[in-house]
Amino acid sequence: MENPIRNIAYDALVIGAGIAGGETALNLANTGYKVLLVDRELSVGGKMIMLSKVFPTLDCAACITTPKVSEISRHPNITIFTGSEVSKIRKVSDNEFVALVTKQPRYVHIEDCTACQLCEKACPVNVRDQYQFGLIGRKAAFIPFSICSPKAAAIDIDNCTLCGACEKVCPTNCIDFTMEVETMELHVKTIVVATGFNLFNAEKMPRYGFGKYKNVITAQQMERELAPTRPFNTILRPGDGKVPDKIAYVLCVGSRDASIGNPVCSQICCMYSIKQAQLLMGSLPMADVTIYYINIRSFGKGFEEFYQQAKGMGVNFVKGKIGRISEKENGNLILRYEDINEGKLQEAEHDMVILSTGVLPNTGIDKLFENQKLQLDQFSFIGQSDMLASPAKTSIEGVFVAGTATGPMDIPDSILSAGSASSEAISYLIQHP
Amino acid sequence: MEVEKGKTAKYLREKLGGIPEQAKENLKQFNGIKKIMVDALKEQDLTVKQMSEKINMPTDEVMFYLMSLVKYGIVVTGEIDDMDEYYTYKLNK
Repeated sequence: MENPIRNIAYDALVIGAGIAGGETALNLANTGYKVLLVDRELSVGGKMIMLSKVFPTLDCAACITTPKVSEISRHPNITIFTGSEVSKIRKVSDNEFVALVTKQPRYVHIEDCTACQLCEKACPVNVRDQYQFGLIGRKAAFIPFSICSPKAAAIDIDNCTLCGACEKVCPTNCIDFTMEVETMELHVKTIVVATGFNLFNAEKMPRYGFGKYKNVITAQQMERELAPTRPFNTILRPGDGKVPDKIAYVLCVGSRDASIGNPVCSQICCMYSIKQAQLLMGSLPMADVTIYYINIRSFGKGFEEFYQQAKGMGVNFVKGKIGRISEKENGNLILRYEDINEGKLQEAEHDMVILSTGVLPNTGIDKLFENQKLQLDQFSFIGQSDMLASPAKTSIEGVFVAGTATGPMDIPDSILSAGSASSEAISYLIQHP
Repeated sequence: MEVEKGKTAKYLREKLGGIPEQAKENLKQFNGIKKIMVDALKEQDLTVKQMSEKINMPTDEVMFYLMSLVKYGIVVTGEIDDMDEYYTYKLNK
């Protein structure tokens, strides 16, 4: 089958459909510009759509994200490519970039899928669900998660046995294994990079035992355990299904640590850990929650009050640096730490440990530009050429940046940054019609 | 080549020259574990630890497969023990 290459023109290309990319696309679309929103995941919404609640208000994250995602998905000026990646960008004139986009086959015609989940029920395969961070299984024919957008099934072709059971039960015949990779050449006038961040891989710090000790999990995994669409019926240890009652948080895992190459403060891990600690105390009222920290950085509006509220609820804060975690036979964990206030080495036993992993740059975006140089900052986040006056400007005229692609920040700051990027892009489009 | 709607899996299977080995292996393993777990639960309701001892599988693997079976509606969560520590799991009859 021939690989189709289409020539399509848009006013703006937004790379990354998280909260910053989505907000940027909406602002541009509402001003009347045609926007192409590209994301490599199967759903728009980025990392925010997977959260349980947001800090410091404890508002439901899905209740904030879902209407926004729905607005993005239904906007007549926004075209969304999920499961797609930009592979090359070339600037051909002041108001024209040519971008090569590769769209992976979903093997489902989104417009025909009713999300009835009959294919999911019929599929015999079970693999680890990446949207629940491996805590539970999913089928090879699957709806990524309950509030995903587009709400449509997808086929995990790497794990599919091609039995055809999904096709047989599909009432709309929307499953199509003849789909192939599509490569599209797009002509756009401006580009906004909103590629977000990566979280530190805790396996790179073996002394914490992540991956080896099953009751050491990441805060992202705990976020799923706390969400309404959680993997288990309640909060459980993934090691043996015990309801935990002595839980520890270890802050600054893979951040503020030059020895592992990331000296940057993640800005969000103190507050998301405090948020989770409060939610845990709501879910498990009898549990003891301890947060091991170096410094609590409660710098934003309402953050210090949120921290004090956690203390008032009974969350135990220990100023201590964890040296090593070891496991007992019953799955409990021994934390050996330096008590910074006392200047002593101490040990404490917990039955579950949550690692609050740091924020890392999403690298590789600068390699996409063929005839221009996208400058990065010293930490490999996208460089802001005029940080104070025009924070969305990059080293390439006509290319702007939004959200955590520029560095760690929380959700309100990401949305603010998206506002700045869309304003700059609109201004550029007016000046370069 | 015109492929009939609803029968496209066969097309890809023929194009690839069969089913990918890894996918076949994974399915075989899951079906085996599912059968063992369902058989064990036919005898009595079990906690993750009890299941682990009964079928000789590490507790974290039992947890993954058992929770997947709960998600697929084959198993349901039962009562919690007197110490409020471990739930039992039973077949969804």
